[in-house]
Amino acid sequence: MTATTRAERRSRAPYLFVAPAVLLFLAFLAIPIGYAIYLSARGLRLTGKGIFGTREEVFVGLDNYLKTLTDPEFFAGFGRLALYGLISVPLTLGLALLFALLLDHAGSRAKRFSRTAIFIPYAVPGVTASLLWGFMYLPSTSPFSYLTRELGLGEIPFLGAGGIYPSLANIAVWGGVGFNMIIIFTSLRGIPSELYDAARIDGASEWQIAWRIKIPLVAPALVLTGLFALIGTLQVYGEPTTVRPMTTEISQDWVPLMHIYRNAFIRDDLPLASAASVLLAAGTLVVSVVLLKVTQKRAFGGMQ
Amino acid sequence: MSATGHVLPHRRAQILPTLVLLIGSIYCLVPVAWVLVASTKSSGELFSTFTFAPGTGLLDNLRDLFTYGNGLYLRWTANSVLYAVAGSAVSTLISTLAGYAMAKYEFRGRNILFYAVLAGVLVPGMTLAIPQYLIMSEMDLVGGYWSVLLPGLISPFGIYLARVYAMASVPDATMEAARIDGAGEYRIFGSIGLPMMIPGMVTIFLLQFVGTWNNFLLPYVMLSDETKFPITVGLYTLLSKGSGQPVLYGIAIVGAAVSVIPLIALLLFLQRFWRLDLLSGGLKG
Amino acid sequence: MRISRLGGSIAALGTAAVLAACSSGTPASPGTPAANAGPVTLEFWCWGSAQKANVEAFNKAHPNIQVKHTDVGGGTDTATKLLTANRAGNGPDAACMEYETLPSMIVAGALADISAYTGDIKDAFSPEVWDLTSFDGAVYGVPQDVGPMVLVYNKKRFQELKIEPPATWQDFANVAADVRKKDPEAYLATFAPAEFGNFAGLAQQAGASWWKVQDQTWTVGIADQASLEVADFWQGLIDKDLVKAEPLLTPEWNNKLNKGKILTWPAALWAPGVLYGIAEKQAGDWAIAPLPQWKAGDDRVAFQGGSALTVTKSSKHPEAAATFAKWMNTNKTAYDRQIELGEYPASLAGQQAASSSAPPKLTANQKDYWDIATKAAQRTIPHISWGPNVNTAKSAYQDAVSAAIKNRTPLRDALKKTHNLVVEDMKTTGFKVAGP
Repeated sequence: MTATTRAERRSRAPYLFVAPAVLLFLAFLAIPIGYAIYLSARGLRLTGKGIFGTREEVFVGLDNYLKTLTDPEFFAGFGRLALYGLISVPLTLGLALLFALLLDHAGSRAKRFSRTAIFIPYAVPGVTASLLWGFMYLPSTSPFSYLTRELGLGEIPFLGAGGIYPSLANIAVWGGVGFNMIIIFTSLRGIPSELYDAARIDGASEWQIAWRIKIPLVAPALVLTGLFALIGTLQVYGEPTTVRPMTTEISQDWVPLMHIYRNAFIRDDLPLASAASVLLAAGTLVVSVVLLKVTQKRAFGGMQ
Repeated sequence: MSATGHVLPHRRAQILPTLVLLIGSIYCLVPVAWVLVASTKSSGELFSTFTFAPGTGLLDNLRDLFTYGNGLYLRWTANSVLYAVAGSAVSTLISTLAGYAMAKYEFRGRNILFYAVLAGVLVPGMTLAIPQYLIMSEMDLVGGYWSVLLPGLISPFGIYLARVYAMASVPDATMEAARIDGAGEYRIFGSIGLPMMIPGMVTIFLLQFVGTWNNFLLPYVMLSDETKFPITVGLYTLLSKGSGQPVLYGIAIVGAAVSVIPLIALLLFLQRFWRLDLLSGGLKG
Repeated sequence: MRISRLGGSIAALGTAAVLAACSSGTPASPGTPAANAGPVTLEFWCWGSAQKANVEAFNKAHPNIQVKHTDVGGGTDTATKLLTANRAGNGPDAACMEYETLPSMIVAGALADISAYTGDIKDAFSPEVWDLTSFDGAVYGVPQDVGPMVLVYNKKRFQELKIEPPATWQDFANVAADVRKKDPEAYLATFAPAEFGNFAGLAQQAGASWWKVQDQTWTVGIADQASLEVADFWQGLIDKDLVKAEPLLTPEWNNKLNKGKILTWPAALWAPGVLYGIAEKQAGDWAIAPLPQWKAGDDRVAFQGGSALTVTKSSKHPEAAATFAKWMNTNKTAYDRQIELGEYPASLAGQQAASSSAPPKLTANQKDYWDIATKAAQRTIPHISWGPNVNTAKSAYQDAVSAAIKNRTPLRDALKKTHNLVVEDMKTTGFKVAGP
């Protein structure tokens, strides 16, 4: 008798444990996704009411998807995003790996200070970071342009046509290096030191040890940080939006999320924005899955 | 390799890495230093003096900041704290419960749940902002505190981490022993699972805390009443209103400086509690 | 919203009770609901520095209507937020709205027709101004401030450089060239790609008509002959580096203005107030002149900017909200404060009061300030019609013009692109559009 109730309780317990998460998951992830898909098949069309008529929501099928997929500006946004990501992702990961290796390197000094200093930007919200960097890019407040001006070299066009991608990517790099560095560093610390000792006895240099032993062993952490950086790139929104008032280089639909925001709120076309949202979410999922397949079993695969 | 040849590269091996690390540190600290200096400048000095020369307007700026809109800035700070602390605490608990169950129990739907969580990690949270807004408006919650708090409670990544951590830190044998002693499942969680997972929970909490604190789009979309804004949205509106009332640029800069200081202090203080090896360590499993 | 509203109304109830106790015995002002309904609480969204104090004054004068003011951002942000809030069914009762966004708000079903309550104040406004908010007999708001266009210029710098305010746009181009010669760091003016309303005003002055509607059929003229000529004019100035193409009111622009490197701003009567916020030290150095004309001897100008106080369709108290909107724009306390803060009131009485007041601080030394201002206000182009998708037009214009400047492609092509996008958007939505 007691055995049955206990077994029952045991079978009921996990459901109770996951219940809050499942409920919230349904309410704020699953249902919104479903609703976005529903809304993406609707459109605001004119009805006869009112002096100019009134826009009301009706079913329009795949119109919004067609419109999104044939909108060159939407894809141009991905192009700009790609350019931005090509600068920011490798730089973030490369610098994070470099700093992590140096922190792990026996010869380095001032490690505690550096680790803390490099990690600090993580605590600065993206919007605030963009504000800080934005002012540091403007010719009249920029310390860099001040220096070049004093040296007679003129101002650095941070917010001009050539500078805008590196300038924006820099904000992401600045904010992301510290966090990724810590992840890679902690995973470096997990490597047993006997491995290095053996290599050193064989006469390997520190660089060879880093290249042949450390980097391959932290590959899972690199995949993970790479994936985060990629997802982060697809979600770029706050940085260009904050910098936008300072320059003519950033349009209202500079990156896909800005395009979506503009359609949804400035042009008051939520259905069109929903279609683009669905496409973007699906695209991200595909990219992530492909990335994980390519680097298979290194990261999430190993968890199964 | 001769003896001298051994010493020289060794010293070089110290200088170069240290130098690179220090350059990295300076790169990361320069903007923070800039905002601290800029916050001391009056609006005239901001554009007319060398950027790193301290100004004379700090007290005026602080007064302007704290009196702006009848102390709106303090409201924003309090709101950010509310969203980040309350939201992250509840979210951590929910993630822990779910992760623990997924790691320690066989139950129907576990795999589906796992894949759903994984997909949740990969779908950009930002693309959900608009549908979430619509759901919230259906529930008549848009514009209130709940509209920002509720969507923040579910964190697929938190669940994922909790699951990893439960697998690594709560031994099956201990749970089984407790069962033989007659303990129920809830007591096992309360007295064995939960205490063992606390270090992991701290990490989940901190990640969630920083994520919520830095969140911009969700509160920006959800809220229209500026007394409910978190700091990020508040500073942004100061900047965007700045074009009509340019005095606000100065307030935005001081506001940024003031908001950065406590967060950095918190980070420095909490650094020792971080268990980020959980992130990478779990992956090797 | 539920929670906050509840909190808000409890607080308002408290204040109202206190106020009611103080003013017991005063008869309820006309237009307020019956006393037994209790005090009405209105949510009101508006930007601008005059609002908060005026709302307080209104609340004091109206124990039965208590207004809670929220600043949700500038004109564009307020329109955006109102649209979404309206869709979600939780909008405010009253909101400020720029004139150009009114038609799109009407089409979105966000605004209420308050013609039933405005019969008594129609004559408080000039017909040109009243037409800004009334369409075919329906009234969608009470005009609050207007912006007849003028040329705001740095008189001190003009005198230093020995130049005169230009009377025609041709003169404007010549003076611009002169400025570049005399001070290579300075520019006569800025061409800002985001200034949709400004360009629209300049095009209207040249005879353009961007939207027209007759029997529910629209004609769109964003790329009509007059507009293209205005685009070509600015194109010429940009190509010869006679004006600077960059965004306005950025920290960078403000800095240049403070250094005396930007000499004019062809804008509207609210501009001195804005510039004062940036360049307090130049108070008294500036002046206004009539906006340059396309033909010598003309004196017509368009409106730029300005806003109306509207009542939303979702409001449960349209009558109380209309009472509020009327008071805010016809009461002496309210328009006096507007004038003090550099806004040009929409009502005739307000404009009268303005003309006998001191000039704004930025132009404090100009004796004929109000003469020029009044003349501009009297010679504004009547019957300006904005379209039902101005929000789309505005964002399309801004993107196309920014891109044109960035890529050095013709501005006229950017206008054509904007035109096509606007027409296509209107057709998709289901409007009848005549012509291409």
